[in-house]
Amino acid sequence: MGLRRRKRLQHRYLQPEIDQMHGLNIGEEAIIYDVPDLRLLASLGIRIGKPIKVITKSFAKGPLVLSVQDRHVVIDRKLAEQIIIKR
Amino acid sequence: MHNHTQKPHVKTQKKLLLMGLPNVGKSAIFSRLTGLDVMVSNYSGTTVEFTEGPSRFDHETYRLIDVPGVYNIQKSHDDAEAIAIKMLNDNPEGIIFVLDAMNLEPSLHLLLQVLEYDIPTIVALNRNDLSTHRGIKIDHELIARRLNVPVVPTIALLGDSLELLREKTSVLLNHPKTNHLKVPDENERWKTVEVLLKRAVMYPKPNGKETQQASFLVKPFPGIPIALLILGLVFGFVIGFGMGLRQWILLPFFDGLIFPWIELWVHRLIESPMLVEMLIGEYGFLIKGIEWPFALVLPYVVSFYIMMSILEDTGYLPRLAVLLDGMFKKIGLTGSSVIPLLLGYGCGIPAIMATRSLPSKKSRLSVAVMVSFAIPCVSQTGAFIALLVEYSLLALIMVFAVSIIALMIVGFVMDKIQPKAMPFTLMELPPLLVPTPKIIAKKIFLRIKHYIKDGAVPMIIAIFFTAIFYELGALSYLGERLSPLVSGWLRLPTEASTPLLLGVIRRELAVLPLIDMNLTTLQFFTASVVALFYVPCIAMIATLAKEFNIKTAIGVLLFTTFTALFLGGLIARIGALFL
Repeated sequence: MGLRRRKRLQHRYLQPEIDQMHGLNIGEEAIIYDVPDLRLLASLGIRIGKPIKVITKSFAKGPLVLSVQDRHVVIDRKLAEQIIIKR
Repeated sequence: MHNHTQKPHVKTQKKLLLMGLPNVGKSAIFSRLTGLDVMVSNYSGTTVEFTEGPSRFDHETYRLIDVPGVYNIQKSHDDAEAIAIKMLNDNPEGIIFVLDAMNLEPSLHLLLQVLEYDIPTIVALNRNDLSTHRGIKIDHELIARRLNVPVVPTIALLGDSLELLREKTSVLLNHPKTNHLKVPDENERWKTVEVLLKRAVMYPKPNGKETQQASFLVKPFPGIPIALLILGLVFGFVIGFGMGLRQWILLPFFDGLIFPWIELWVHRLIESPMLVEMLIGEYGFLIKGIEWPFALVLPYVVSFYIMMSILEDTGYLPRLAVLLDGMFKKIGLTGSSVIPLLLGYGCGIPAIMATRSLPSKKSRLSVAVMVSFAIPCVSQTGAFIALLVEYSLLALIMVFAVSIIALMIVGFVMDKIQPKAMPFTLMELPPLLVPTPKIIAKKIFLRIKHYIKDGAVPMIIAIFFTAIFYELGALSYLGERLSPLVSGWLRLPTEASTPLLLGVIRRELAVLPLIDMNLTTLQFFTASVVALFYVPCIAMIATLAKEFNIKTAIGVLLFTTFTALFLGGLIARIGALFL
């Protein structure tokens, strides 16, 4: 996981469509490209290849609310920084 | 909600587990199958401690165990997952697995993990109505064939098909079979689920409308103005409805009918003046013992729980948690802390129990201490309203303002004195639902019953002893001893020592006796602030000791009492400068 992840992060600078999840704007849609190894994320539908849409980003250090399939998932900004998406 | 009060003795050793994701209606199925009353809510983690009860399947009684909802079964720091693993390894006869029709993917993923334990399993496809309503078509027979388990579509909240579930469960228990389905790899498991779903489920064409999510509620605008409006309406309703109930129904009933009747009979039957005083005098047991718990406090218990139950069942609370998350982060907590805090305005004990669903030990302790310190329980709130509303609405609002400021300070201090940790928020928003009146009514009824049993009865007993000690002169003797504190430091009349003494036993008794005293507005305010922080009730101290440790409980006890008296003296002095 570690190596694959680092490679993907390196890739990021060559591919502008690859970004951290919290870089998305409200209303933007994207595909999950890489996620930290957290089983709860997988259960909430945040897995590689899944489409997501940002519903809202709260002010201050508040969380993001995503639409994942037909569910709404609240995800911490810190965690969203670790998730890589493809626009 | 906790259920430690409800653990009927079950003789049989045969166990049947009720499992599934959080917030899928396990508790609703549990209460239907056992006939026991358990609280259900529209947010995850309502069952933090497992509940069990007897349930009959084909002439045989089983111990049905409501296992807390989990997403995964793996060894982790998660309490709920640890409990689930322990239950699975404890040789259950079978499992009723609740599959959420609104949330099939993670439900099936969990089901695959459960099936690996080779325990006979039956599946209840719950919330079938919601998915049908959304136009989702689920081929439950295909799921049954593929996974080799019986599947029964149910609507637990309405009780639909639960007898069919009971029948099919009996069949399974009589002819146990397991299916030896093993998908050891996590990625494989997700793939299996995805393939299965593709075949078994037909989603409607998206029409661009998000009816059940109402995403505008979690956007800062208009989410925050709406939240303020909702909380304002809740506050207004609790006070307004409570006062109406008291003024127009309960007071006329008691003052006009019951009390004159009691007084008449006491005077007729009893000669001894001291005994008469004890029964209907200043702290007359027959008068105050009815008036305080039922005419003064009960109306607010009713109005508070009407509002709280509706809020819980709509699924609005997790949305409020999202809005407040950024603010709570500043004191090292997550937005979901708002749920136990709000529950605390009802009763501190379920609130402290509800902290179990918070993400870290640190946040649990912080929220529990915040609740014990600065949140008045519903009995005390009722007492505050009864006391202050007629003299000064401003003083009432200020008491609540003091409570909220103190809440922030305590939260801030708790964050500073504990090691730094950053819990992160990761949760699913439940669908926004229109609450079912029947469920709401049942919940309010359960909570009022709980208030009468654990609130009103101890209050009546305390008033009984107060009446005796008051007439024997013990209270005025102690009052004399306390006079340097009460009159000297707090600048209250000596008689105000009585509520201080009674407040040790119950929170609202630190307030209620003040009603009949002739105090200035400043004195009412001082006494109210003292009462707010004063000794938390005994049951709460015991809960703190049980959930954390004795040291925490004693620390909270000493610190709140000290704060109460210190602040009270301060307010008496500062207030005197302005008034």
